[in-house]
Amino acid sequence: MSAPLATAPAAPAPVPAPPIFKVDRLTVAFPERGGTEVAPIVDFDLVVEAGRITCLLGPSGCGKTTLLKALGGFVVGRDTGGVVYRGRYLTEPTPDIVMIFQEHNLFPWLSVRGNVGFGLRHSPGEPAARRARLERMLGTVGLAEAAGRYPHQLSGGMRQRAAIARALVTEPKVLLLDEPFSALDVTLRRRMHALLRAVWTETRTTMVMVTHSVEEAIVVGHRVVVLGGRPASVLLDVPTEGAAYRDRYDPAFLELQKRIESLIE
Amino acid sequence: MTPGRHAAPYLVGGAFLASLVAAWEIAGRSADSALAAVLPPPSQFLSVLLDSGFRIGLGSQAVPLAQSILSTLLRVFGGMAIAFVAAVATGALLSLSRFATWCFSPLLYILAPIAPIAWIPTAIVVFGISNVTAVFIVFMGVYFILTIATLAEIRRIPEEYLTVAANLGARPGERWLRVVLPAILPGVFTLLRTNFIAAWMAVLVAEMVGLRDGLGAIIMMGRNLFNSDLIMLGMAVIGIAGFLVDRLLMLIGTRLIWWRV
Repeated sequence: MSAPLATAPAAPAPVPAPPIFKVDRLTVAFPERGGTEVAPIVDFDLVVEAGRITCLLGPSGCGKTTLLKALGGFVVGRDTGGVVYRGRYLTEPTPDIVMIFQEHNLFPWLSVRGNVGFGLRHSPGEPAARRARLERMLGTVGLAEAAGRYPHQLSGGMRQRAAIARALVTEPKVLLLDEPFSALDVTLRRRMHALLRAVWTETRTTMVMVTHSVEEAIVVGHRVVVLGGRPASVLLDVPTEGAAYRDRYDPAFLELQKRIESLIE
Repeated sequence: MTPGRHAAPYLVGGAFLASLVAAWEIAGRSADSALAAVLPPPSQFLSVLLDSGFRIGLGSQAVPLAQSILSTLLRVFGGMAIAFVAAVATGALLSLSRFATWCFSPLLYILAPIAPIAWIPTAIVVFGISNVTAVFIVFMGVYFILTIATLAEIRRIPEEYLTVAANLGARPGERWLRVVLPAILPGVFTLLRTNFIAAWMAVLVAEMVGLRDGLGAIIMMGRNLFNSDLIMLGMAVIGIAGFLVDRLLMLIGTRLIWWRV
């Protein structure tokens, strides 16, 4: 693996961040077989601040992925409420908000460079500037040397890095991540956490990440929102800025981890 | 992997084939063998070719063997290429509208099982004895099955691909060109290769019953002249040419359209 990235420096001085998403009485229901319906999210409220990493944590089936999709406009709730993005209700996906899915992340017929550059033609800037951005982004995620390779020739970690690069190279306002590292082993996951923090330090992109790993949520996020129950409700909403939460052996880290784990179980 | 191990399947296959041909040759050589009359050994039917200077036919009508091979191949490739492009285009258009799919699906499934050979009489009436007839028959043998395959492949595309492409700003037309098309190409091409045999047979039959040139016509000429050497020669050339074309298609599949979705 190339280009080990340093962990991000200590969090910046806490300035009150403006909200970018306002989840306002969101209700999402899916029809089920037999005419009934299942509603993982009912009358849900949440505010997500701009320029920070918010982690959504919770047991399987608690509606966190549905919530994430709603933030991206991939799922639209009942018209009794919804997701307000920069003052407007979201009704469809927008290139402003890019989502990284768990699976089928890369196009198998394109090289890493082709994949990362997929959305580039729709992003602002002169062609030369866009190409330079592509090369810089490949370097940022440590894939400059592997740029000519195809997805089936990559390791799981490289694939996820390529997916992150593809999403970020178009300079979206928001990056949504749905359990992006769940298929990776522990060592690789930790490297990806450092990478994500480093990318954030460089771009200050608003990120919302869904995960079921407590450690991952605390280490990566500036804020951890624990969801639970059916329909989903916020069990805990805690800021995780500061150096203590970047070190998974720190007593404060372990304390919080224990607290969250007891909530989820 | 050592090169020796890599070559082993080819060496064994080649050696087995060679020993079969050798056995055939020895059995056919022995005097007044009944086998020689029906299945003339290679030395016998190949010498016919050498004696006639690689031309086949009677007197001034004789045509070079290479020309027969070429016209058969052009018919097969022409028909397959047109069918491939048309099937992908039809499948794509149908996939845009569920209503259109409902309308045309039954038709596709009714027309697909009609053997291309069954189209020969109609084709000869409509197009006459010409290359168009041959190309049409190949087309009919491949087009419907490939259209069905295209529809199936489009349904099989993981939704995330299209969501991701749209999310990155690709418009519908662009999504089609940059995601749908590359995603379905390998699957449809694999089916094209599988159906090559059917197309190949259809052309040969067309050449035997209607058209007066091509590899199929050599067999027919042999039959009319009670010349089993000529029949055997035609069969050998058809077998080898078909084998080589299949290898070529396989090469295209593994080198140009290699990815799996």
